[in-house]
Amino acid sequence: MRVLVGVKRVVDYAVKVRVAADKKAVDLANVKMSMNPFCEIAVEEAVRLKEAKKATEIIAVSIGPKAAAETIRTALAMGCDRGIHLTTDARTDQELGPNSVAKLLAKVVEEESPDAIILGKQSIDGDFGCTGAMLAEHLKIPQCTFAATIDFDAKTVERETDTGTEVVSFPSLPAVFTADLRLNEPRYATLPNIMKAKKKKIDTKAADSLGVELNEGNTVLEVFEPPPREAGIFVDDVDGLVDKLKNEAGVL
Amino acid sequence: MLASRFLRPLSTRCLSTAVSPSGGGSGTLSLFSPSEEHVGLREMVRSFAESEVEPQALEHNRTETFNLPLFRKLGDLGLLGVTVEEEYGGSGMDATACVIVMEELSAVDPAFCLSYLAHSCLFLSNLNQNGSHEQKVKYSPGACSGEIVGGMCMSEPGAGTDVLGMATTATPKGDDYVINGQKMWITNGTVDGVNTGDAFLVYARTGEARSDVSMFIVEKGMPGFSLGQKIENKLGMRASMTAELVFEDVVVNKSQLVGQLNGAAICMMRNLEIERVALAAMSSGIARRCIEEMAKYSTTRKAFGKPIGDFGQIQKMIAESYAEYMASKSYIYNTSNNLDLSSAGNVMDSDGVKLFAGKMAKDVADRAIQVLGGNGYTGEYRVEQLWRDAKLLEIGGGTNESHHKNMTKWFGKAGTTLP
Repeated sequence: MRVLVGVKRVVDYAVKVRVAADKKAVDLANVKMSMNPFCEIAVEEAVRLKEAKKATEIIAVSIGPKAAAETIRTALAMGCDRGIHLTTDARTDQELGPNSVAKLLAKVVEEESPDAIILGKQSIDGDFGCTGAMLAEHLKIPQCTFAATIDFDAKTVERETDTGTEVVSFPSLPAVFTADLRLNEPRYATLPNIMKAKKKKIDTKAADSLGVELNEGNTVLEVFEPPPREAGIFVDDVDGLVDKLKNEAGVL
Repeated sequence: MLASRFLRPLSTRCLSTAVSPSGGGSGTLSLFSPSEEHVGLREMVRSFAESEVEPQALEHNRTETFNLPLFRKLGDLGLLGVTVEEEYGGSGMDATACVIVMEELSAVDPAFCLSYLAHSCLFLSNLNQNGSHEQKVKYSPGACSGEIVGGMCMSEPGAGTDVLGMATTATPKGDDYVINGQKMWITNGTVDGVNTGDAFLVYARTGEARSDVSMFIVEKGMPGFSLGQKIENKLGMRASMTAELVFEDVVVNKSQLVGQLNGAAICMMRNLEIERVALAAMSSGIARRCIEEMAKYSTTRKAFGKPIGDFGQIQKMIAESYAEYMASKSYIYNTSNNLDLSSAGNVMDSDGVKLFAGKMAKDVADRAIQVLGGNGYTGEYRVEQLWRDAKLLEIGGGTNESHHKNMTKWFGKAGTTLP
């Protein structure tokens, strides 16, 4: 089985983001960037498949600026075999929408013919959570989203729902899977593997050379910070609390 | 849903999110991460340090215990043998790689980092540079994986800065040497507080001349080799075990002699260079953490109706700390990037970086406590511990006074024209 994983470069999840002065986007200057956490989980799943001798090759794909090559390098250090980098100067957090990304990935899939495509369930910048489903639709292949466990022998996926999990089966490969948080815990790249990753190959081509319309995303009108939470108050007694709930909050 | 799920890793995985203004993003090449491998190494160690080392630091410092399972994880990551060749189980990287690991570990737990130094630099790197193929095959793989914990024995109860004044002797006897003496302040000298550590490079006198010193490998369990005492109640570095080790007619085969007979002085000098640069990196890590804590606190703590960061006195402490930290860091990496582990002769700057960084970190940690006030004086905020840990860097691996001596002597050898 050959596996293709998507790895997106995003603002590190622990960074407290700032709005840019023109209020059109989040400020990316001097901000720590990392692999999208859900993509890390997708990579880990693929690497475990390879360690279990179920996968023979793992291809990591990233769409983004020149620096996205670093994210691919991280995936290679975690155990992927080679990388594909579709370069674009469009901001991948808001200019390049999930449908454009899905169409680009579909082109890569058509070329590489992997048996499984594992993506993160969403990226933590755009937060759309659509790319995997759209990709499967473009390719007309099965999709199993929000995976908590994937069993390729039984052809089943346990998927996260709002009320717990459900087990679904997929009829055949190739299929698209999107990784949820509980699928696994990603590893750290070891130092020997970081050194080996440098020798692995990354194919680079321009995203706009694949014949895909790239500016289908929403137009961002304004980006603003959520209003700060107001301080709470103390009530004197139970009667005071009931009064507030009834007359101010209107919940009783 | 998503937010709450990320709360756990959020609180532990990433403390420092700001990227150094002059260092560019953590992913770019710089003086501090001169190759892609160094960039990847720093990212990996920082991530590991923040999610796995940070959460245990306070507890192990309070209980004065060494975290062996966590230490072995460093082996899984390929960090213990960072400078050891691949054929002996290491990762085959350079002095700067060692410095990066030290700096990143020290920012979360200097004591844990000190145990790493004793094992990886003083034992493994030392053996790798000076040992024979057979010795490396015998000891390196186990030490690179963390199966055995190693250290180095130089100082004695009566000989510290005057290291060649050591009294421990190794006397030839047939195919063996018999070692007698005591070694003091040995990091990793014990791991559990009861037994000796696993393996040590021991310097001992083997001739009449002052520099007739040789190096031997001594293992746990050799008859006559015992734990004198676990050193208790240290000012800092409390999660790193320090011991006095006793050698009483310890018989070692001549196959345990590392390098030439009476030739260990040069091994010692070579190894002291990387040790000192690595210790300077430790100061750098302490300083970074202190500056981050100060900067953070100064925006949230209010006095007289505004954040304390609005006051000139606080600004002075933060700004000066940052400038001194960056000056020190630049000096450290400028030295490590040019340090050849197999050579000796970088004395001036390996002493110089430690001398400068040691005082810098102590001053910065002191300011951090001052900025945090009463909170800084208590354990929860970490800077109190960092302040205590920072002091060691003016004593261990060479006292400030030994650096003064070496550096001033250097002028006699190299002339007085500076670059």
